[in-house]
Amino acid sequence: MTFPTLNFPVIAPQIVLVAAALIILLADLMVANKRILGWISLIAVIGALAAVFVCRSDSAAFPLALGGPSGPGTMALADGLGLFASAAVLIAAGLAILLAIERVGDFSRFEKPGSEKKQARSGDHPIAEAPGPQVTDRAGAYYALLLLATAGMTAMATASDLMTIFIALEIFSLALYILVGFNRRDLRSGEAALKYFLLGAFASGFFLYGIALIYAATGTTSLEAILHNIQPMSISLPFRPLLPVGMGLLLVGFGFKLALVPFHMWTPDAYQGAPTPVTAFMSVATKAAAFAALIRVLAAVASYDRPWLLALAALAVLTMTLGNLAALRQTSLKRMLAYSSIAHAGYLLIGLAAGNQLGVEGALYYLLAYTFMNLGAFAVLLAVQRRDENDVTGDRILGLAGRQPLLAALMAVLMFSLAGIPPLAGFFGKLYVFSGAVEAGLAWLAIVGVLNSALGAYYYLRVTILMFMAEPAESDQEISSGKVETLQPGWAVMTTVVLAVLGTIVLGLWQWPWTQTIAQAVSTLALR
Amino acid sequence: MDIVIAVLSGFLLAVIAPWVHRVGRRSAGWLLALLPAGLTFYFAAYLRELRPDFVVITSYPWVPGLGVSLSFYLDGLSLLFALLISGIGTLVVIYAGGYLAGKPQLGRFYALVLMFMASMLGLVLAGNAITLFVFWELTSLTSYLLIGLDHEREKARAAALQALLVTGGGGLALLAGLVLMGQVTGSLELAALLSNGAAIREHALYLPILLLILLGAFTKSAQVPFHFWLPNAMEAPTPVSAYLHSATMVKAGVYLLARLSPVLGDTEAWHYLVTGAGMATMLLAALLALGQTDLKRILAYSTVSTLGALTLLLGLDTTLSAKAAMLFLLVHALYKGALFLVAGAVDHEAGTRDIRRLGGLARAMPITAAAAGLAALSMAGLPPMLGFINKELLYEAKLQAPRAAGLITATGVAANMLLVAVAGLVGIRPFWSRSNAPDARPHVPGTSEVPGTSEAVHKEPHEAPLAMWLGPAALAGLGLINGLFPDALPSALVSAAASAVRGKPTVVELALWHGISPIFALSVLTVIVGAAIYVGRDPLYRAAQRFVPWLITGLRVVGHWGPEGGYDLALRGLNSLATTQTRLLQSGYLRFYLIIVMLTTVGLGGYTLLSRTGLTWPAGRSSDVRLYEILIGLLILAATLLALLSTSRLTVVAALGVVGYGVALIFTLFGAPDLAMTQFAIETLTVFLFVLVLYRLPRFAYYSSRRDRIRDAVVALAAGALMTALVLVVTSAPLQSRLTPYFVANAVPLARGRNIDNVILVDFRGLDTLGEITVLAVAGIGVYALLKLRLDEKNK
Repeated sequence: MTFPTLNFPVIAPQIVLVAAALIILLADLMVANKRILGWISLIAVIGALAAVFVCRSDSAAFPLALGGPSGPGTMALADGLGLFASAAVLIAAGLAILLAIERVGDFSRFEKPGSEKKQARSGDHPIAEAPGPQVTDRAGAYYALLLLATAGMTAMATASDLMTIFIALEIFSLALYILVGFNRRDLRSGEAALKYFLLGAFASGFFLYGIALIYAATGTTSLEAILHNIQPMSISLPFRPLLPVGMGLLLVGFGFKLALVPFHMWTPDAYQGAPTPVTAFMSVATKAAAFAALIRVLAAVASYDRPWLLALAALAVLTMTLGNLAALRQTSLKRMLAYSSIAHAGYLLIGLAAGNQLGVEGALYYLLAYTFMNLGAFAVLLAVQRRDENDVTGDRILGLAGRQPLLAALMAVLMFSLAGIPPLAGFFGKLYVFSGAVEAGLAWLAIVGVLNSALGAYYYLRVTILMFMAEPAESDQEISSGKVETLQPGWAVMTTVVLAVLGTIVLGLWQWPWTQTIAQAVSTLALR
Repeated sequence: MDIVIAVLSGFLLAVIAPWVHRVGRRSAGWLLALLPAGLTFYFAAYLRELRPDFVVITSYPWVPGLGVSLSFYLDGLSLLFALLISGIGTLVVIYAGGYLAGKPQLGRFYALVLMFMASMLGLVLAGNAITLFVFWELTSLTSYLLIGLDHEREKARAAALQALLVTGGGGLALLAGLVLMGQVTGSLELAALLSNGAAIREHALYLPILLLILLGAFTKSAQVPFHFWLPNAMEAPTPVSAYLHSATMVKAGVYLLARLSPVLGDTEAWHYLVTGAGMATMLLAALLALGQTDLKRILAYSTVSTLGALTLLLGLDTTLSAKAAMLFLLVHALYKGALFLVAGAVDHEAGTRDIRRLGGLARAMPITAAAAGLAALSMAGLPPMLGFINKELLYEAKLQAPRAAGLITATGVAANMLLVAVAGLVGIRPFWSRSNAPDARPHVPGTSEVPGTSEAVHKEPHEAPLAMWLGPAALAGLGLINGLFPDALPSALVSAAASAVRGKPTVVELALWHGISPIFALSVLTVIVGAAIYVGRDPLYRAAQRFVPWLITGLRVVGHWGPEGGYDLALRGLNSLATTQTRLLQSGYLRFYLIIVMLTTVGLGGYTLLSRTGLTWPAGRSSDVRLYEILIGLLILAATLLALLSTSRLTVVAALGVVGYGVALIFTLFGAPDLAMTQFAIETLTVFLFVLVLYRLPRFAYYSSRRDRIRDAVVALAAGALMTALVLVVTSAPLQSRLTPYFVANAVPLARGRNIDNVILVDFRGLDTLGEITVLAVAGIGVYALLKLRLDEKNK
């Protein structure tokens, strides 16, 4: 019996995250002030991010591989792509934790049913000790699950073996299923979690079956070995025909996690039902992790074959168009953003469908840009959301500019970026992926993308109209006049929004450090 | 470097503008105007170096991966625009300080207008195609925010969005065109594009490039059929209309055409498309202008007409037309800016913009009236205004047009006659007409009601404050001075600009008096007929109604069902399409989701399988199928059918058990007894568990209709077919396991065990097993804890 060689820096982020999750679960039992748990998890995420950077800076051993030197047989690979996607995931996690620190009680506190009854009965006997309503604050569980999900996602980003990808996928999916249904007072949260879980389990089945078929076809699950084996003139493979089918099933699995049409149906329900910080987190971090893995899988299994690229292009067209069309008519802003995030997955997919250096670089740049702008947008929704709410309709932000000019201006920047208006990050992301498509001879795809951006601009700008050019509705006038609880977003929520907006602007205006890192990350992939 | 600072300084000032407004109070406008004033002087300093081949290029890297750089390209054309932008910007900022005084939006206005100015400067100075596009979209965006500045009204919001969607959509087309040009030439730098004109014109992609770029230019410059957004954008506060919608932003399309005419121009397609669009716009908008009653909408339509004329000139693509276009740009910015600002002042002081209610304001507002009169004279093309020189040059250029000179000139003369009448309507009538008796003309449909006209909101008019008459007076005065001394500033500027447009040195010599020539005769004719139209507009209208009713109806139809109707229809169609598809796809029922997913998977997988492998039946094996295998197979099938059709839950459970046992039997027959044992155990357990929960379930019933079940059956069969096909493929080739031989060879020597499964579990993969056991143990503890918790609660 031999122990595998462990290259600890590769899994250092995951070790930090999982350890922190366990510490939080323990500390949850001991500390009364749950906010401390939030700080612990924030520190853990920053620590993991530092580990990523340490990994990146150690250029002598770069790229680091887990389970032996880089080559067939590695389970995880801390190369440029993996670390970049990990960083995106960790940034998303950090912002999501910061977002939740003040508001976690809104959805994690749970009064046990029947406790009021007991209280009422105790009222009959004033002398008897009246037990207060039995409140359980599950904030600890929330942070722990978030960290575990993050661990799974970073693992997926660096995974270089189909099995590792699958395990990572399951780790973060299970955590997310629970997080989506975390708000036990909200029926919709439960429904969302159930739908997400059932469809997700289904997708995992497809994914696993795909892995099995690819294994049958190539005799290995290591991505590098697959690439090696399926190259022409290499080992003769009896089940080679199974490879494309396996790849197709993998694509179905990825399609679920990335919310690609037609595997997107869970998305609006889950995003709307989940507590808003969770939505903010999962809408961006899942994509970062899954896209990184998909890029790797495509590079290895599909070898960037033309038919696969066309299939991706078709998925991209469907995803963009249906996502945007559905977002057009939503009254709930959360649901609108949910659909729009589907559309963004479509834009991202254009970069992958292009299959060239520029396209994949564009997809990565887009991922980071999307992380900031989408998370920021959800953060703004949380800022205007009341404590007992889990959704925001258009009425709520009517005339927001009059009440909270700063918040409205920040939201406007995010909306402009999401709409792809220059010179913000969202614009350059689109420019990148569209240029990649044009360069790959998929000009028609770029045109569909451009038309879709126009469609998207329509509903994003409607938000700015509501904020800047409309008077508040009746109910909100009451709020602004102080009759109802005012909607002052806390400092942590505001900080999150500001950070996200800064990211959106900086990514757009100050390009070279990011583009250089991305170019390096992509250059090591086996693209056409 | 200094050009970068000049462009970006506006953005920086915009950030602190609201603060300046709060601190500076009433003087904020004057303070903030220092920046555009400074910029005007900065650009004016370049006038000294102005030679026909004058170019300054600066460049900084921005997005190297995409060939995008922050580069600026300053030549005569850019300089002309930059001077107009910063100069009029100065006056507009000062003017707004008075116009919007005391309004809550003023702080935001300053910020946005400065941002707009910076974007516009960036647009005309950009030396890189993408940078140009970035600034192009920023002007659309700031324009959108400025139009919707002070609005509770739904209509204003719709107008803002309409302007943005039309110009922004055109912008996307422009981007596509620019990127394609970059593909052709291999560089996105303007200098490279300008020097590669021939390569682009001869490329196969020339026509798409041209169409895309024209789409961008035409939407921005409100050419027919995209003209409708501009009159609607008059919902904006007047300083915005004056600055963006007459002097600068709407000229961006013209700028683009002028800038790219050395690259794309001088082809048949260019001539026909650009000239045609320009001509149609010029005439139609001039006609529509006369039908309006709102001062600002009249001005808007006359602006559209001018933009058409400019486009037409650039389409002619001769040296003379380039000169005329550049001069016209300058002239129009001066008089139209003045007239817009006057309209704002009138609205501000008299409380209405309805020309039917305005009259005799000259006594109350003498300075404004004088400025308006001068501007109107320039617009009408009367000496000694710069407008007169311009009109002469216009006619000369049109008469010498390479194609269809007669038609073009005739259209031009007709449009100019109408514009002379319009000049009277906006510059003379509100001030000098004696009475404000209601106009006989009915309202032409397709135009909006003028806000504040229905109620009697007439205030006692006063002269506008200094901030508000300075702008019009300065602009109108410039029109006069430049008209008197045309060989000083205008000649130099127009020469340099025309050189840039033609791509070769061109010298322009302007003079007020050219002598009596056919051109002069045309000019005189224009003014006389125009004046006649102005004086006799009411009888004319009635006559038109009687004798050429189709013209009125035609305009009405254009107003109602024209391109704007198309825009509305498109939006409505899009919305209903969105609703329908969402309702169809997003039903909320999990089962529909699953059906779609299943069918997609089957389609995707089945297609790949069929296309890649060409499914073959494994013929060689059907011979050695034994009878009991067939029997077991039939048993499984029968049990499956029974499970599907039975209405008793117990039967279903039992049938499922039979299916499982059947599969286990097959395992046994094919040499996998251990697997079979596991299967037996699991099947038995499952049946027990099912039976345990059976009693707790509600009565059995069909919840779905027959049709639904048939649909489900189809989906299920399709999925089953795919799985069967996959199994067939897997079994069609001999299995080559690399693992089995290894374990067979190493089980005894390495692990001292003969049962390979056991050896793998406890030895080769011992650590995994340990982990698994740990997990199970933890899970067990968890379950125990949960159970205990529940029991404790019950006991309480």
